[in-house]
Parts: sequence; C-alpha cells; structure tokens
Amino acid sequence: MIELALKILIFGAVVSGIWALVASGFSLIFGVARILNFAHGTLFVLSAYFGIVLVKYGVNDYIAFVLGILFVGVVGVIIFRLTISPIKTHEVMVVIVTLAIALLVEQFLLLIFGEHGISFPSLISGVQNIGGVRITNIRILSFFVAIATLILLEVFITKTKTGKMINATSQDMEAAMLMGIDVDRIYLITMFISSILAGLGGLLYSQIFATTPIVSVKALIYAFAIVILGGLGSLRGSIIASFIVGYVIVVTITFLGARWSEFVMLLTIISILVVKPTGLFGVEE
Amino acid sequence: MRCVRVEAKINAKTILSVIALILAVVTPHLIPEAFVYILGLSFLFIILVVSWDVMVGYTGQVNLGHTVFVGVGAYTAALLQAPERLQSIGVAIPKAPIFVSIIFGGIIAALIGLLIGIITLRLKGYYFALVTAILPLVFMQTVFVWRNVFGGEEGFSIGLENSLSSSIVGKYYIALIIMVVCVVLMLLIVNSRIGLKFKAIREDEELAESIGIDTTKYKVIAFVVSSFFAGVGGATIVLYRITVSPDLYDIPLMLLIILSAVIGGLGTIYGPVFGALIIYLAKNWWLKEILSNLFKIAPIPVNDDIILYLILIVVGVLMPQGIYVELKKRCHEVRLKFEKFSKI
Repeated sequence: MIELALKILIFGAVVSGIWALVASGFSLIFGVARILNFAHGTLFVLSAYFGIVLVKYGVNDYIAFVLGILFVGVVGVIIFRLTISPIKTHEVMVVIVTLAIALLVEQFLLLIFGEHGISFPSLISGVQNIGGVRITNIRILSFFVAIATLILLEVFITKTKTGKMINATSQDMEAAMLMGIDVDRIYLITMFISSILAGLGGLLYSQIFATTPIVSVKALIYAFAIVILGGLGSLRGSIIASFIVGYVIVVTITFLGARWSEFVMLLTIISILVVKPTGLFGVEE
Repeated sequence: MRCVRVEAKINAKTILSVIALILAVVTPHLIPEAFVYILGLSFLFIILVVSWDVMVGYTGQVNLGHTVFVGVGAYTAALLQAPERLQSIGVAIPKAPIFVSIIFGGIIAALIGLLIGIITLRLKGYYFALVTAILPLVFMQTVFVWRNVFGGEEGFSIGLENSLSSSIVGKYYIALIIMVVCVVLMLLIVNSRIGLKFKAIREDEELAESIGIDTTKYKVIAFVVSSFFAGVGGATIVLYRITVSPDLYDIPLMLLIILSAVIGGLGTIYGPVFGALIIYLAKNWWLKEILSNLFKIAPIPVNDDIILYLILIVVGVLMPQGIYVELKKRCHEVRLKFEKFSKI
C-alpha cells in the first residue's frame, strides 16, 4: 500500500513537472500578449523531432538537446511574427489560425516520419530504487530540470529588468507602452521564452515516452486544460494545476487503466470550471 | 425605393437557389456514381457548416466544439440502428426506423447543447470558446473508454440494410431533401424575430441587454438550434455512409467547418452553403486528383489537408473578418468612389 502511494507520488511528480513546463509557457504568452497559441503543442513535438534528426546525423546528444530547444524558440518567434501579430486583435482568428498551423505541422511530420513513435536518446542512464520503487534516472533528472527551469523563470520575471518589463506588459499593455516599453519586442521575447519552455518539455518527454506527431495535439490539450484550470494568465496557478492534473492522471492510470486517464482528467477540469469559471487562480478580464 | 431594392435582392437569391436546386436534381444523371456519392456527402456537410453559422455568425459566440453535436447525433443514430451494441451495458431498446433515428440524433444533440449552453453561456468573452474547445476531446474519449459500445478508433458499421437507400442515387436525393429542409428551416429561424435578437446580441451584447433582451436565453436558443441541426447532419452522414467513427468528433472536421464558413462568409447562411460545397469537394475530389498528378512530377511531402490548412492560415491572416466581409467592404469602397465620380 505504502509502496503504491510512493509510486504514485514519484511518477505523478515527474509527469506533472513536464506538463508544468509546457503549461507555464502557454500561460506566459497568454498573460502577456492575450493570445491563445494553439500551436504550442506543435512546438513541443518539433523540438523532439529536430533533436532526433540532429542525433541521427551524428551531432552530440547534449548539443542536439540545446539546438532542439533553440530551434523551436526561433520557430515560435517566426510563427508569432508572420501569423499571430497581424491578427492579434481578432482573438478567435488567432485560435483558428494557430490550430490550423498545429494540424498542418502534424500532417507534415506524419508524411515525413510516419506515425510510429520515436525517442530522443536518454541523456543519462541507470535506475534508482527509492523505497522499493524502481525509477529511471532520466525521470528523476527531468523532474529536477523542470523544477529548476520554473524557479529560473520566476526569478527572471520578478528580478531582471526584461522580466519586469514582461510583467508590466502583462498587467497593462497600454500603461507599459506609455512607460516607454517596446511592447512588440516584449511580445517576441515572451514568445521565444514560451516556445523554449515547450521545446524543453518536449525533449524531456521524448526521453521518457515515445513521441509521435499526434502527441502535439495531446500536449496542447494538456497545456490548455491545465491553464484553464489554473486560471488564464496566472503562472503560479498553472504550475499548481499541472500537479493536480498530473496526479489525477497517474491515479486514474493506476486504479482504472490508461484509457480512462484523459477522460477523467478532462471531466475533472470541466466540473471545476462549472463551479468556478475563472479557474483556480484566474485573473479577471 | 429601398424596399424595392431589397425585394429584388431576395428575388435574385431565390432565383439562384432554384437554379442551383435544378442543377442538383439533374446532376446524378450526368456524372459517374462515385462522384454522386461524394456530392451527396457534401450536401450533408453543408448542414454542419450552416448550423455552425447560426450560432457563430448570428450571435457572435464562437463555438469551437461543434463536432460534439455532429458526433452525438451520429452515434445516437448509429446505436438506434444497431441497438444490440447497447446490451453490453444493460440497455435494451428496439431498433428504430431510419428517419426516427435521424430526428433522435438531432434531439439528443440539442439536449446536450441545452445543458452545455445553460452552463457556459452565462459568461461573456473567452469562456465559451475555451470550454467548447475541450468538449470534443471529452466526447472522443468516451468512444475509447466504452469501446464495446462505441467501437473505439475503428468505429462500427450499422449494416448495409440500414442505409438511407439501397442505391447511391437514392441516397443522394434523400441527402439533398434533408439538406434543403434543414437549410430552409434555419433560414426561417434567423430571419424571424428571434433571429433579429441573435443579431442584436452579436452587434453589442451589453446594448442588447439594456433594451431588455435576455441575452443568455437567446444565446442558449441559438446554441440549441445549432446543435439540433448538427445532430441531424451527423445522424444522416452515418446512415449515408453506414459507418460511424470518432472522426466525426475530431478537430480536423471542426477546422473544415470553420474554413468553409469563413470562406463563405459568416452570418449569411447562403455563403456557408457555398463555402461548404467548395471546400468539401476540394478536399475529397479536386485536390486529391491534382496532388496525385503532381506527385508523378515531383514527390513533395504535401497532401490535401496541408493545402487546406494553408488556405485557412492565409485567409485568416489576410482577412481575419472572413472573405465575405472583406469583399463587401472593398465593393462598398469601390461603389463610394464610383458615386463620387458620377457626381462630378
């Protein structure tokens, strides 16, 4: 019994950590630019595919890891510049266009790589035994990388000058503009950070689970559900919500089986939303 | 003077519709059966697009989960034709006649629409779009969770004998009749007093509220109407192609509906009919052929879906209000210039 509880605790933490990275990126760009980037899940899988291709061509694992993350950062900025920023005021069109981008890239990846899963080589190997629960080192590493990144993000936003400018823009775009902040530049920086968070999440994920082009939609659903649950635009809310979602999933998989996991998760989120429409820590529009 | 012009406009639309209808009636005798089959399906797709337009184009509430109702209608009709699948969860119902199951598909979809609408439409802004965006995924999961009832990813077949008609041409005409009935009913609704209230909500929700329109009530009515017809559309599609599968819940179908409505012009009914026809036939007929010819020359990783998504992205970025509004604006500008010119 204790072993089972410990297993749920550990595995839930790893899954939650990765989703927290993805969701915080999604939440960040919404909070700052008030856009819902439905191509966020695409950035998540693109980093994994790019990294895997680099490794295939003989690039060192660690360099491929870093390049994969930077690559999606650039892709994110390009998507923002070309498609999102011209129609920023038409919120729903942004959703539709980014969703179309997501499905377009998914089809493209399916045509090139096929639908079978692929994995990025684990950066570290080995297995740990914690109180009778066997867990791979890469999972432990992923958890700590995720937590460290989230702490770094928090420090960056609250302590550095650029971070404060991002924060100011998210609180009041017009006031920030009047204070001399170049809002368009801040959007691009935020989009870059948001994308590399998705990219990092994707590369960690693909070392633990198999990545397929369809995972992009799954990542989007998770990020989206978590962010709504945590409250749109609230970074801390989405981190807490990702742990709720992560544990709901792991508990459901343990007791009911994997096929129930997404259904139960989405139902939980919808029932919370029925009671509290702004999410757990939502900001009023 | 103005009245006369409005009447003339209605007449032009009516004449065009009659011509289109005559064409639709004659066509099956002119083209091969395989194309008749696709054309019939495209009529059913029109129902889905127009019913989305009733909600989105007329009340301005963006519903990203329209496929929920398509899927619910589809699975309802399919299970009414194959009730033995329900026995595994201890439900015994008799097999329903085909047209009863179509109506039931609509009714169940409308009931679910009512429930979702009452919960989500109280709030303004993003909320409705967000919640409806997740809903198709929830319903899609039910297909995988209760696999022996809904048939999982593969779906299931309702059997040849339960099809709309035994011949393809027969199916085509039934699809045509159902489409025309649905579109006419929806036209009557949006042109009635209720439809005026929908439009008032779209133009300015707070203003509508201030002159005494119960905005939540009318948004829910529009949503229920929209989901009813989506359900009827989904149910008829299943009886047309004899199989039901989770693709009727899925996001690509949602995007295809959006693309058609945006290309045709939101809030016009006629526009989405036209858009749906073009996009559906492009996807299932022209594009595939063009691309397969292209592949013989140069093997590039492009398929019909990629082209359609590209069109949607380009249209969305260049004309975020939709092609129809954009063209109307341009025409208006040209007319203004012309009038100025003629005055001189």
